[in-house]
Parts: sequence; C-alpha cells; structure tokens
Amino acid sequence: MAKGTGPETVIAHGVRLEGDLVAEGDIVIEGEVHGTVKTKGDLRIGDQALVEANIEATNAVVSGEIRGNIVVHGKFELFPSSKMTGDVITEVLAIGPGAQMNGNISMGGDVVKGKKRAETVDES
Amino acid sequence: MYDEALQDRKFERELAQIETRLTDLGIAGKIARLALFREPIDLIRDEIRGGVTTVVAVGNDMTLRRVIDAVQDRKTVVALLPVGPQGGMAELLGMPSGVAACDVLSARIVEELDVGEVNGKRFVQSVHIEGTDFSIHHGKQYVITPLRKASIEVRNFAAPDDAGMISPVDGRLSLIIRLPKFSLFKSKADVGCIPFEEMFIACEKQITATVDGDQLQGKDFSFRVIPKALRLVTGKARKF
Repeated sequence: MAKGTGPETVIAHGVRLEGDLVAEGDIVIEGEVHGTVKTKGDLRIGDQALVEANIEATNAVVSGEIRGNIVVHGKFELFPSSKMTGDVITEVLAIGPGAQMNGNISMGGDVVKGKKRAETVDES
Repeated sequence: MYDEALQDRKFERELAQIETRLTDLGIAGKIARLALFREPIDLIRDEIRGGVTTVVAVGNDMTLRRVIDAVQDRKTVVALLPVGPQGGMAELLGMPSGVAACDVLSARIVEELDVGEVNGKRFVQSVHIEGTDFSIHHGKQYVITPLRKASIEVRNFAAPDDAGMISPVDGRLSLIIRLPKFSLFKSKADVGCIPFEEMFIACEKQITATVDGDQLQGKDFSFRVIPKALRLVTGKARKF
C-alpha cells in the first residue's frame, strides 16, 4: 500500500470507534467503525472488520464488510470475502470472485473529479 | 549531574576516565551529585539561571528523567552519559556507555523531541493504563471503546515492537490498545495504534497509571503532546 503523509492509524479487532475518523496517513480497520472515515492515504479493511460509514480514501482494499457510500480517488479492490452495501465512486475497480457488491457504481477519473468539484462548491 | 548510585567505589575508575576524556575534548563544567533524598530541580534551575546551556545526566534512565523534570525550558540542552546498568533510553538515543559517550557528547547532535503530558505531568517515553474498563475520547470527533479486556499505552518514544516504530519528533503521541487473545500454543494480542495530539481517557474506576516508571493515581486522564519541547543530545545510532 502506498503511504499517506502521516503516521498509520490501526483500529484493532475488538475495538469500536464511533464518530468521525479523519487521518492524514493510511488507515487499517480490523475492528468496528460507525460514522465517517476520511483519509488522504490508503484504507485497508480486514476480513473481520465492520464499517458502517461513508468513506473517502485515495486507494482502498477491502476484505470485510462496508455499509455506506465510498469515494476512492484511485483503486478500489474488493477481495473475495468482502461485502459492500452502498454506492461506489472510484477511478479503478477490482472485484474478486465471491465478493458481494450491492449498490450503484460510478467509475472513471471524470466522475471522481466531478464529485470533488461538487464537494468544493458545497463547502464554499 | 551524577546519579547517587555512582558514589559506589566500583565506578571510581570509569568516572575518572570520563572526566579525563571530557577535559581532553574541551568540555568543562560544574559537577553536581544527586543525593538520594534531594531533588535536583532547584539545583539545576539555579544553574540554568546562571547561564548553563547544557545539563548532562551521568547515570541511567532515572537520572535522565530527574534532569528532564527539572529542565522545563526549550533552550537548555539535556544529555545522557550512560554509566552503570541501563534502561532503554541510552540505546534509543544512540548513546554508548562510559567513556565512548564523551565523543558523542562532543559531536553535539541535538534533536528536538516531543514531550507528552498527562494530567499536567510530563513524560518522555510512555504511560501505561490497565486493570479497568475505559473509553477514549478524541474531542468531539470520536469515541473509542474496547469490546473486550484491553490495556492502553500512550507512547511518545520507545523501542520498536508489535506497535511498530513511533517517532518522538512527529508532533504526535500514539495511543496503543492491546487486546490479548489466547490460542492453544501461545498468547498473542490484537494491537491498535492511533496517533493524536490531544486525547481524554475515562476509566471506570480509580487506577494507578505508570508514567515513565512513576505512578499517577486517577480516574480520568487528559493527554496532550508538547511538540519539540526537549532538546536532547543524540548519537548517530539513535533509533528514530
């Protein structure tokens, strides 16, 4: 995984986080997160993890379960054990055999850039 | 600043060699000896007010900690000259033991390290909390709750281990949560690591936290990092 600009954050198996997790560096989730997840780095979700959150990351690799919408500016990979319920916006998508994906998928660099522009306008 | 344990005759020869080497290197200064029941705070602060710019702790981790507690400003440089049995700080700072440390002192590679603070008490290495249920609050952003028995370490500076390498110069502390898990063959732990600048830990009951080897009683613990608060002489073999 490419490194973000800050230190890595690891939510271990057996730990529950509720709220907004915002990080500069990479995030690894092996436990539970409920809320939002945002990083300028990469995101890895382990096979025992449960993430009920809207997510934004540069790249993401998922083996566990996500319930929420996700925006990935680079590559979004769903491993065979993963379960995704929500909408996906990403530049590159890879879905392994056996992975479950339920939601809308929007792909391509223009879509991701358009989403970013919309967010910038909303913020201003 | 000589540790009181160095008054033992077995250290006489080594200390004489150190003093000779320091003189050869042109490093001169006042020598003070810590007594068992005397705190060095007033002694060190008087010397700093008198113009001293560097305080050298001759001894081990405990000696260094007592000097760091006394030096509260960011201008004074602190150094460890390891003599006798050591904890982990000498190796982390890249300071060899005995006479060899004099040359490292002379090279004067000074690093500005972060310092942690818990309930107003400063620490350089880490704080350990265990033996109770707790929740961790990061302002209004999030709350962390372990779902099974866990222990916490808030780390600024330590040797790399299952939590990885934590940098003492990144302007952050690291919250390390360890949740033991047991298998038939060996006990392991799930380890989480969260960098932060400020954090609040609420415990279910009053407990004793270990702060750089000292004890701190409390039920709630408020942590913050003080970036670049400590100027320490280090060697090239430092572990960060």
